[in-house]
Amino acid sequence: MVGWSGRRKTLTILLFIAPTLIGILIFSVYPILYNTFISFTNRGMYRPNPDCTQTLTSIFEPSCWPMFRERAPKGLGQPYSLQTPFYGNYATLIGKLFTKESMVALLFILIALLPLWGARRLNQHYDRQLTRPVSSFVVWLGGLVGVALLAWVLKLPAQIAVLMKAGDFFVVTIRTILYVAVCIPLFFIVGLALALILNSSNLRGRTAFRVIMIVPWAASTVAIMMSLVWQFFFREQGTINQLLKLVGIQGPAWLNNPTLAFAVIVLANVWYTYPFFMTVILGALQSIPPEQYEAAEVDGANWWDKLTKITLPLLRPAVLPATVLSSITTFQMFGTVWAITQGRPSMGAGAPGATELVMVYAYKQIFQTNAYGRMGAYAVIMFVFLFLATLYSLRVTRITKGAYE
Amino acid sequence: MRRSTPGVKILQYVILAAATIFALYPVWFAVLASGRAGGRLYTFNLVGMFIPVEWTWENYRVMLLGGQPFLQWMRNSLFVAGVTTVACIVVATSAAFAFSRFRFKGREAGLIFLLAIQAFPGVLALVPQAQLLTAIGLYKNPWGLVIAYTSFTLVFCTWNLKGYFDTIPIDLEEAGMIDGCGPVQSFLLIGLPLARPALAVTGLFAFMTGWGEYALASVIIPAPDSAKTLMVGMYKIANEINIPWGYFAAGAVMVIIPVLLVFLYLQRYLESGLTLGGVKG
Repeated sequence: MVGWSGRRKTLTILLFIAPTLIGILIFSVYPILYNTFISFTNRGMYRPNPDCTQTLTSIFEPSCWPMFRERAPKGLGQPYSLQTPFYGNYATLIGKLFTKESMVALLFILIALLPLWGARRLNQHYDRQLTRPVSSFVVWLGGLVGVALLAWVLKLPAQIAVLMKAGDFFVVTIRTILYVAVCIPLFFIVGLALALILNSSNLRGRTAFRVIMIVPWAASTVAIMMSLVWQFFFREQGTINQLLKLVGIQGPAWLNNPTLAFAVIVLANVWYTYPFFMTVILGALQSIPPEQYEAAEVDGANWWDKLTKITLPLLRPAVLPATVLSSITTFQMFGTVWAITQGRPSMGAGAPGATELVMVYAYKQIFQTNAYGRMGAYAVIMFVFLFLATLYSLRVTRITKGAYE
Repeated sequence: MRRSTPGVKILQYVILAAATIFALYPVWFAVLASGRAGGRLYTFNLVGMFIPVEWTWENYRVMLLGGQPFLQWMRNSLFVAGVTTVACIVVATSAAFAFSRFRFKGREAGLIFLLAIQAFPGVLALVPQAQLLTAIGLYKNPWGLVIAYTSFTLVFCTWNLKGYFDTIPIDLEEAGMIDGCGPVQSFLLIGLPLARPALAVTGLFAFMTGWGEYALASVIIPAPDSAKTLMVGMYKIANEINIPWGYFAAGAVMVIIPVLLVFLYLQRYLESGLTLGGVKG
């Protein structure tokens, strides 16, 4: 900006940013620090109260601060204290990962994913060449086939089963990763198919269809309610089974079957999210110059060639950020799953249910077993994981640029 | 573009028809169920699953006038979501402007820091946030919810508005500067009026966060019935065995239809006003 610097500039910028900064510091940063502190304590159902004579507690615990002291809970039970060793909660959650079998299983799983990394590198290599012998789509397909082959050779399901034995933490995390891995391609495929159809110029009622397809997005803002409707569809006496009965089929108890219940929450989530993908893809499609297709047609390309060699590569810059960011939100999915299954069906006493994704598991642990300390540790681990994912997404999407760059 | 053959055309319309049913049926189902008499939840009539063959306003009457605290919930939610929206816009706009327009040390770090904070999983932040609000004395108080939602949506609001300010050409403000506009004036007189579409979309998403959030609301205001927010109250209704599902459906319709209308009205702003290209509210 023209001719302003020094103290006046600093003051102005502070004036602009201070409200946001203060709000974030008090109500976001402090709770995170506080949570990290709790994660090192044994706070829980039988030890809910703070002991304000301990130095650390008196610093972190808000009800120990002088101005709030009169509201400090004075219930029965012993006060909580730091764990010995201090990382006890973390050890309970992920300690069993550091055994020989688990490490071997983890290693095998990582090896099985190597072809995807290879495909990425190969694509980057081809991108730098003038011509590419095969399209990036084929390379990715090859990577997936490689993963499938390695998964078969290395007995991947058995390895995952070993890893899941290392604790509930791994059961729910692996299940959530599976959930994301199933959901994201479906979002993309449904969104892409509809966007391609709605983008064809000679379609009647294009605007109307576009508005209709957006409806689930609007409904997703009250996700918990629409999810209750979805739950109703798939009840044992629900709509779907009523329809099946009409054609003479005895429908299954969808939400009592682990696999089917999982499929139901995938379906509901696809319903909520495909309009978002469709909107993003439509926007990107409109920026592809039609001459590219005309030129390809002159060269005798069929629609498949045009799709894989022109459309998909050109969609990438728009779809990638959407994919990364929806992966993060899908990973944190709570309301939909909670309303439809509450994590059920049960997989045995004490084990997390078949649809207990990480956030559902955390919610249950917090409010049904009051395991605050352990869940604090869980939150910290998830935070680190999601933090890294966010940084990666920033690298991919490059959205930190300002107006001047 | 491509000229499509009749076969392709038919296929397109078949897919579109299927997608239309998929997109609309859940909402339409709620509408149908809301018009069925309370006890008769299921219809064995195939036509009745798609077209209202019978219609009664009884469920709506019960929800609005018949002793259900539905209107009370709606008022609570409107209050919480409305105040959250206002607070968010007021607080975040200036920061977004600063992040977009001013160059200063730690600008990029600050932006990344904001996003990183957002990575803290919402459900797991319940415990520390609830403790903090309890200590302040805002447990069972809608203002507690307002504070929590505002801090949660601040990040999205700041980022989204910053993204929009980035797309506004800086020339206008530079012209203003030459005429003697300081940074505050250029923000209030030039930046703000130009950012209206983004303000609308950002406000919409901030409002929706407060309107549709469940987990935190169920913790901060668990009781009494009349103080609950809409989502918590409706969740309870749907899961209570002795309350007919039609009541829930009627309530759901009354909640969802206004949301739909506002959303569809603002739809044309979605592409331009939602600058992050990725973050949902």
